[in-house]
Amino acid sequence: MDVIVLLKQVPDTETKIKIDADGKSIDTSDIKWIVNPYDEYAVEAALRLQESDGAMVTILSMGPERAVEAIRTALAMGADKGVLVDDPATEGSDALGKAKVLAAALRSMDFDLVFCGHRAVDDDENQVGIMVAELTGIPHLGMAVSIEVADGKARIERPLEGAKVTLEATMPALVTFGGAHAVWNPRYASLPGIMKAKKKPLEQKTLADLGVSPDEVGAQAAKMQVTSMGLPKERQAGRVLEGDTDEKAKELTRLLHEEAKVI
Amino acid sequence: MQPGHFPANVIFLIVFVAANVFFLLTIHKLYKIVRLGKPEDRFDRAWERIKGLATFVFGQRRVIDEPAGWGHLLIFWGFIIITIGSIETFGAGIYHGFAYWKFLGKGLTGGLYLLQDLLCAAVVVALFVALYRRFVLKPQRLSYEDQRAANLDAGIIIGLILVLIVLLFGARAVEYLLAQGEPGGYFPKAAFVSVALSGLFAGYSEQVLHGWYSFFWWAHTLVILGFLIYIPFSKHLHLLGAIPNIFFRRSSPIGELTKMDLEDETVETYGVSTIQEFTWKQLLDLYACTECGRCSDNCPADLTGKPLSPKLTIHHLKEHVQKKGNMLLSQREAAAETSNPEGEAAKALIGDVCVEDEIWSCTTCGNCMEHCPVFIEHIDKYVDMRRYLVLMESKFPGEIQTVLRNWETNSNPWGLGFASRGDWAKDLRVKTLAEAGEVEYLYYVGCSSSFDERGKKIASAMVKLLNQSGVDFGILGTEERCCGETARRIGNEYLFQTMATELIEIMNGYKVRKIITTCPHGYNCLKNEYPQFGGNWEIYHHSEFLAKLVKEGKLRPKHGMDKNLVFHDSCYLGRYNSIYEEPRSLLKSIPGVRLSEMDRARNKAFCCGAGGGRMWMEETLGDQRINEARTEQALVLGPDIVGVSCPFCTTMFEDGLKARNMDDTVEVLDIAELLAMAVGTKED
Repeated sequence: MDVIVLLKQVPDTETKIKIDADGKSIDTSDIKWIVNPYDEYAVEAALRLQESDGAMVTILSMGPERAVEAIRTALAMGADKGVLVDDPATEGSDALGKAKVLAAALRSMDFDLVFCGHRAVDDDENQVGIMVAELTGIPHLGMAVSIEVADGKARIERPLEGAKVTLEATMPALVTFGGAHAVWNPRYASLPGIMKAKKKPLEQKTLADLGVSPDEVGAQAAKMQVTSMGLPKERQAGRVLEGDTDEKAKELTRLLHEEAKVI
Repeated sequence: MQPGHFPANVIFLIVFVAANVFFLLTIHKLYKIVRLGKPEDRFDRAWERIKGLATFVFGQRRVIDEPAGWGHLLIFWGFIIITIGSIETFGAGIYHGFAYWKFLGKGLTGGLYLLQDLLCAAVVVALFVALYRRFVLKPQRLSYEDQRAANLDAGIIIGLILVLIVLLFGARAVEYLLAQGEPGGYFPKAAFVSVALSGLFAGYSEQVLHGWYSFFWWAHTLVILGFLIYIPFSKHLHLLGAIPNIFFRRSSPIGELTKMDLEDETVETYGVSTIQEFTWKQLLDLYACTECGRCSDNCPADLTGKPLSPKLTIHHLKEHVQKKGNMLLSQREAAAETSNPEGEAAKALIGDVCVEDEIWSCTTCGNCMEHCPVFIEHIDKYVDMRRYLVLMESKFPGEIQTVLRNWETNSNPWGLGFASRGDWAKDLRVKTLAEAGEVEYLYYVGCSSSFDERGKKIASAMVKLLNQSGVDFGILGTEERCCGETARRIGNEYLFQTMATELIEIMNGYKVRKIITTCPHGYNCLKNEYPQFGGNWEIYHHSEFLAKLVKEGKLRPKHGMDKNLVFHDSCYLGRYNSIYEEPRSLLKSIPGVRLSEMDRARNKAFCCGAGGGRMWMEETLGDQRINEARTEQALVLGPDIVGVSCPFCTTMFEDGLKARNMDDTVEVLDIAELLAMAVGTKED
């Protein structure tokens, strides 16, 4: 069984985000990069199939050279090999552009299952996985918190307003993963795992290798444009009102009305 | 069968040689078991090692730290003196005319006999005290799971020594009487106990006396040889283990964990999960254990009911190593494992002999090692087993994974954005090295004082004091990294080495020469461990540095405070680096402060519970939290302030006070904060 995990490298969630001079993207100069947490759950799910069913796990990512680090992280956890699509022409792609590249890469690979996080924590679009399934022509099982594979079928559980729904699809299929760290407890790489990861095959591909024309992707092909980005207002220090209860209540009402403009 | 005459002397020689051969074969096997361990160099500083034998073996320096130790000192020296006497006894068993006085002279022999009688009498008293202690007082530290076996072992030994002394006195008393009737016979009257006891045999004929002499002589000889054979199988193996163990004691600071070679690609396993992965010295440790229980008596984990008792760890390891070692040597292991899956060979070092909760309960406070009379190194064993669990199995308390990730991504255990590391200093008068270039001192702030709200106050106080005294210093700000101390103690050597290499590169990039820290963990790590990776600087803990500034008159604590203050020693400052006086001198320099000491202070100080990565683990086991136990010890003294010198201790005490609803009445303050209040800085 072949499982391919789509993996995205994203800024660490604790990063202090700064908006770039263009006002439409973030300044990436002072950022620590991590594996998108939901993709990490997908890696964990794939590695469990590797243990139980001997699945071959391949990591597929697109991004600049630094994304190699994220792939190596997954290889250290136990994935077998990695593929990185690194092409400057993909820069500025929207979700559909990215899905096109990933789907093209999948076309040249064998797979029974494609796994990925249901969203990436950087731009939170919730789209790429679903689009890849559509472009590849395979069923999509969304927001899995568990997965079982038997008789050529994949069965997942998805939480639904506190209840659970069980979904099933014939393989090949694409599964996006939800849940939380506590649900998946993705494994911590062992030292031999880290050592071995350095030697595991990691292929780098360009759009030309995939037969994708640069015109189909990138900023100019994007059907959706980011027009601006803004940071939330910095939190003000708390204020303690002085006086007796009457005065404090009056002042509070005035502030809520005039300053905060919420009443 | 008169001793010293044919055929008794031939029979004696045969028995003597047989017993010694048996003894030596046993020792040889024990030696081979020790050699199963990995190599380790413990032959450096030979002269220091020899001096150590004088101090710690013959002087029993650590043994006599406790009252019971004085009894041991007596028995130890009694044993040596008896052995000198036994050589004479054995000589007389080969040739009846052999006697020390014939070549040592009567004066010297008399002195020796006096000493023997005195010590033997004193040993009898000490032995009865020992029996009383073990069987009537029953101190907790002598408790073992199999108390009957432990008591039997101790009883046999004490009984044997007692019988040995009775027989020796008996033989001596009869010898005295026989010497009287023999022409040219001599027995020193200085042996006053023997002479007095001879009254019991007065009036017997020479023939009867010879009969008694034969009985005493043979019984004494057989008991000694029996003892010789029994020793290696009992806890009295320590007679043989302790001396080499003291000789080979570590010459490196206890705060320096071994550097693992992570570059060697032929290595297939890391850390320790089988006995052969311990070093030979770690195995020798086990033979040296006397089961005195001082380690457990000082262990914060054991005293608060955690599933960790250093004395039992050593005891279990010793039993396992002897059995498993024998099997490995005879290569019967594979057969034994298949034929008896319940047997020793099938036991896992981690899981059966030591359990994971035990390994993770250690705070690495060093109290066990500090008080072990024979220099057993407990902590390194726990860390080596953690190394296996973390590096090979990725097995650790669940909450640790997040912390490890936080270090990896943001170089601090909280996981706060690395870019905000220098934010605490924004409104303070402090330069970063990026701004200032070279400065005389780097203030290495560390994670706690950079990210934790409570810790930031310590850093602010420190900055104010340094500015006040005109010290030329700077900080790394955003460029600073975690020192990795805790990651190392959790067993993640890989992460530690990555962090250490990175920090050293940054510091050396700025040509740092002198460093001040406000955290004893960073202090110990930079001072004792970074040299392993090429980080060599002058390191000062702020207690040392501030004490120096006060002494030089650069800081004047003029504002008094009318307060009762208890000082809590940080393990990594006190036991790990022998800094006890500096923080106290600082506190005493503040007018009006009344300093009092807890029972467990200085090198006996009880850990706050945060060391060894415990700061980041839930404390769910045992019957009390370690920090609450320590807080209670401080509260007994009715303090207004608990003085500390470590940001982790600060947190642990504050939590302990909250648990007792005392956080409004008692304050926890770092020495820097206290001094800043007393100095009254210009910036206030």
